[in-house]
Formats: sequence, structure tokens, C-alpha cells
Amino acid sequence: MYCKKECIAMLLAGGQGSRLYALTQKTAKPAVNYGGKYRIIDFPLSNCINSGIDTVGVLTQYQPLALNDYIGKGAAWDLDRIRGGLTVLPPYQDGKNADWYKGTANAIYQNIDFIKKFDPEYVLILSGDHIYKMDYAKMLDFHKEKKAACTVATITVPIEEASRFGICNTREDGSIYEFEEKPKEPKNNQASMGIYIFSTNILLEYLEIDEQDPKSSKDFGKNVIPNLLRSGERLYAYPFSGYWKDVGTIGSLWEANMDLLAE
Amino acid sequence: MSTTGFIFSNLNSNTLSLLTSDRTVAAIPFGCRYRLVDFALSNMVNSDITDINIIANYNFRSLVNHIGSGKDWDLARRSGGIKILSPGQEARQADAFVYSYRLEALRSIRDRINELTSDTVVLTDSDHLCNIDLSDVIAFHKANDAEATFVTVQSKIGDFTRDPQTALQSDAKGRVTDIVRSTGYDPDHPFVSIRIFVLSTEFLVRSLEEAVARNYHSFTNDIIMHAPERRRFYSYCFNDVVIPVTTFLDYYRANMLLTSDAAARNAILGKWERPIYTRVHNSPPTVYHDGCSVKDSLIADGCLIEGTVENSVLFRGVKVSRGAVVKNSILFGDTYVGANSSLNCIVSDKNVVISDDQTLSGAGSTPFYIAKNKRI
Repeated sequence: MYCKKECIAMLLAGGQGSRLYALTQKTAKPAVNYGGKYRIIDFPLSNCINSGIDTVGVLTQYQPLALNDYIGKGAAWDLDRIRGGLTVLPPYQDGKNADWYKGTANAIYQNIDFIKKFDPEYVLILSGDHIYKMDYAKMLDFHKEKKAACTVATITVPIEEASRFGICNTREDGSIYEFEEKPKEPKNNQASMGIYIFSTNILLEYLEIDEQDPKSSKDFGKNVIPNLLRSGERLYAYPFSGYWKDVGTIGSLWEANMDLLAE
Repeated sequence: MSTTGFIFSNLNSNTLSLLTSDRTVAAIPFGCRYRLVDFALSNMVNSDITDINIIANYNFRSLVNHIGSGKDWDLARRSGGIKILSPGQEARQADAFVYSYRLEALRSIRDRINELTSDTVVLTDSDHLCNIDLSDVIAFHKANDAEATFVTVQSKIGDFTRDPQTALQSDAKGRVTDIVRSTGYDPDHPFVSIRIFVLSTEFLVRSLEEAVARNYHSFTNDIIMHAPERRRFYSYCFNDVVIPVTTFLDYYRANMLLTSDAAARNAILGKWERPIYTRVHNSPPTVYHDGCSVKDSLIADGCLIEGTVENSVLFRGVKVSRGAVVKNSILFGDTYVGANSSLNCIVSDKNVVISDDQTLSGAGSTPFYIAKNKRI
């Protein structure tokens, strides 16, 4: 069936979330409860449909039962579509290999056939462990306007916490000249939110390069993004200014819940 | 900004009266597995219009049944999707007002139109079959900052219809300079409306206010034809296959065209990136028995073919018994043709039974119609 799309989303939802301890013993991090009636994955899925992205691959791996049960076929987010819609993408076996997803980049690499089916111009990479509301359509407009190979969404974090994040060092026009994953001495406080828009041909090219590199840990932040920079590709930082919370620890999850109650 | 679609399910039902005695025009079966509304709906869905209203007046039970939740057109949505707007009775009026003109239909749903948040609306009937990318028309409409854009085809010498059509004259850029009613080829007004309109919502709301104030009833006569050269009206000429189905003979010929003309068939049904969606029935596969003969025909699921079928359109569950010959005919769902019967130029409605050894024939210019549930 013909199902060309301009932009599709790949949502990385396989993370264990080991710093959430007991909460993720039996559940993948994106399926952790939040705010009285939500789960964390509601946020990126709702952001997709509210941004006009109706094709989402959800990559699962760790403890998928509760997560699969919760997302079903995507009907709750209006993502049960004839063309596109939501597809759960677990790791799989093929003729030669039977591999787990070995890192964020490898997870996408193993699902290149899914991406190619929709022949998109752009691929949006999302992670399933943040609480935020964002219009990805605006980020896509920015990506097109800058004619970027890759656009990284960034948020301003307190400088004392900056060493926990991937930090983007940018020129005045927003182009990135250096990307440091969890630097000991961060040069600024523009942190990557783990949200990337790639032009599809660039994504496929660099995933292939990364896959061939035995030393790579197959991670976007550690390997693919720095490699794009080294090769002189056009990388841009898209500054986001709304509420955003990484809920990777019990403490931050508690804070994010309490934030809903704050005046 | 988004676009809202409105489909008129039942304009011109009088000229198709044989087929509309208990269904709306939109619900008339067509092309072996479709109903007429499928074309208007699929054109919208394939052009990313997913907030669609079907305006119904009479006999819409079979339409409601066909549409269901809208799932088969990908229109079972949490926001937008499909709605069937049935005629409503007002508390103050003794009789329900049921529209017969397009403008009356729109007046009856004025509340809904005044609430629209989209900046553009597409209005279409269900009686002109085509496979058109409406996003191109909308882009043309917006580029011209038009109030209304008419999708048209160029009329040719020899064209003739009994019912007058809306014929337009336009300048080189498509801006409409004059509109007339015409029954045939008119070199001064060469563009004929196929009753697909793109309107700015603001123009529609304004027109409806005027229609109420002045008690207008006809969209074409009272609004469109009133000094068109002073409006921003445009003609979008569609250069692909358009099959009008406004009379019973049109209907018959349109079906026959699909069996005989591969180019027309492909232009409407065969565009793989723009499929025509319809309600999916889970009928079993059609069985072709040893000794049957089938030529140039469209045959749906669930049929049983033992006899001969040529140049015909067979809907779901039709049975053609041994020795029977069906030529140039349209057999609706569950028609039974008995052994050694012969049919030529027949349109049989649903669930008709033709017993053994019958010979029935119409002519290409006057096909013979057999009403629903008849036993012959």
C-alpha cells in the first residue's frame, strides 16, 4: 500500500530506567504512571498527533508487557490509521542475526525497513522518558529553514546540572560546532533533549557508518551526532523554552508530579 | 489551516429516481463494490481532509449503514472524522423542513457552519465520479485569494445534457468572468462545473447570512450567478477523467465504461497512491466453475459463476447458474440468475431472483430496470 509521509517519528521506548528502581522492576520506563491519569509515553505520543505526525514507530525492548498493553494499536491517541499510525517495533530475529537493540542508534538501524516503507523526507527521533509539551511541526519548520542535516532540540538547564546532559556549543546562528556528552566542565548550559530531526538520507548514511564501527557504542549522543559534526554536516540547535522534565530518577519523577500541584 | 468537507448526499435524486426509491444518491451501488459516496469521501481523505460532514435529507438509512463509524475510510477519529447531518425538526415548527437545494441544505446547518474553525470548505455532490487531488485545487484557491473556486471540465462539441449545467467563462488566469446555465457545448462558456466547490469559510458564512436575509434558496441561481465578474471566483480546470452520473442512463453507461475502457478505469479506480476506499465486507472469494465464461467484467467477492458473463458489473453474492448468459448488465448484490436464463442490458436491484429459462432484454439506450426483491 502507498503510504508516503513527509515526516515520521521513531519513539525509543525500550529503556530500562534503572534509576527508577522498584517502579521499573516490572515495567518499562515509558509506562510509568504520572500525574494521576497519565503514563510518561502519553507526552511524546500526544505531541506527535498534536503536531500533525500520524506515523510513529515505538521501539520496545525492556519489560514490554505493560507498555504494549497500554498503547495497544494507538487508538487512544487517534493513531489507529489505515496508512501509517502507530506500530510497535520490538527487537526481532532474521536469517542471520537475533540481536537486542544495542543502543539508540542501533535500535533505529534495525528498523530501517520500517522507515523506508514511508519514504519520508524527515525522521523525528524521540525518547519516551520526558514530560513536556512541544509542537514538533515548528521544529520541523526550523529544520527546513536552516536546511539542516540534523536538528537537535535543546533546553536551558542550570549550569551546575549541565554535566548530566549532552551539551551543544553553538555559534550565533544556532549552528552547532561542538557536542559534548556529559562533559565534566560544560562550556554552556544548552542541553540536548534527546529529540532529533534528521533528513532521512543523512540518517541512513550515518547509521550505516556507525553500524560498521566496532568501537562505537551505537548511541546517538555519544557516536552519531559527534560523527556528523566531524564530517562537517549542518547541525543546528533548536531552542525549546516550555516546561520539560527528565523523569529518570525517583526524585525527578516526584518533583514532576509535584510541579502539577504548584501554583 | 485545515479544510472541512461537506458532501450533499441527495441532490438530483429525481433524475435517478429508479435507483433512489429507498436510498440516497450517495448510497447508490456502483462499479461492483463501491457506492457513489466512496468517490467523494476518498478524494477528500486522500487530500488530507479528515473533517467531513455528509448532509442527508431523505432515505439515508442505507447510507448510515454503509458509513458505519467511518473506519473503512480512516475517518473514525477522535477529532474530526465523519458526521452524517440529518434534517432536524425545530421545536417551533410543526413540520420538519427538508431541503431540496444546496443552499437550503447549507442554511439548515448554519449553526454548524458558523462554528467552523477551518478557513476553507470543500462542497461536493456525489454524482460526478473522478479521482482528483483536492489539495491542488485548495492550493490554487488560496494562491488566488479566491472566494470560490469551481472545479470544471472543458466541454466539447457535441456535449449535450437534458438538465442545464453551470457553464463558466474565465480569463487566462482562471478568474471567472461570466456564468450561465447551459445544456450543451457553448464556445463562450467552455468550462462546465462538476459540482465540486472550494469556498473560503468567510465567503460561505457571508453568503448564508445574505441568503437568510433575502430568502434565497438556490446556491447557483441566487448567489453564484449574481454578478460573478465582481466576485473573486475562479475556475480550476481538471484535465482527467470525470464521469457524470446524473441520470439513470448516465449511471448505466458509467458502469459499462468501467468494463470496456481500461484508461477510464485506471484513471478512477487504478491510482495506487490514491485508492478508492469502501466498506469492507468479509465475503468469501468468488468461485468460477468449470464451463463458465467471463469477459470484460467487474465481479465482486462472494459470487458464484457457472454460466457466461460479458461486459457486466456483478456486485457481491451474485449467482449466475449453469447455461445462463449475462451481457451488458449490472446485477446488484445477491441477484440470482437461474439456469439457461439470458439477460441483456439489465440493471437488477438488490436481491432480485430471475428464475430458470427466462429471456430479458433492454437496449443500450434504454436499459431495463428490475426493482429490489422482485421475483421474475
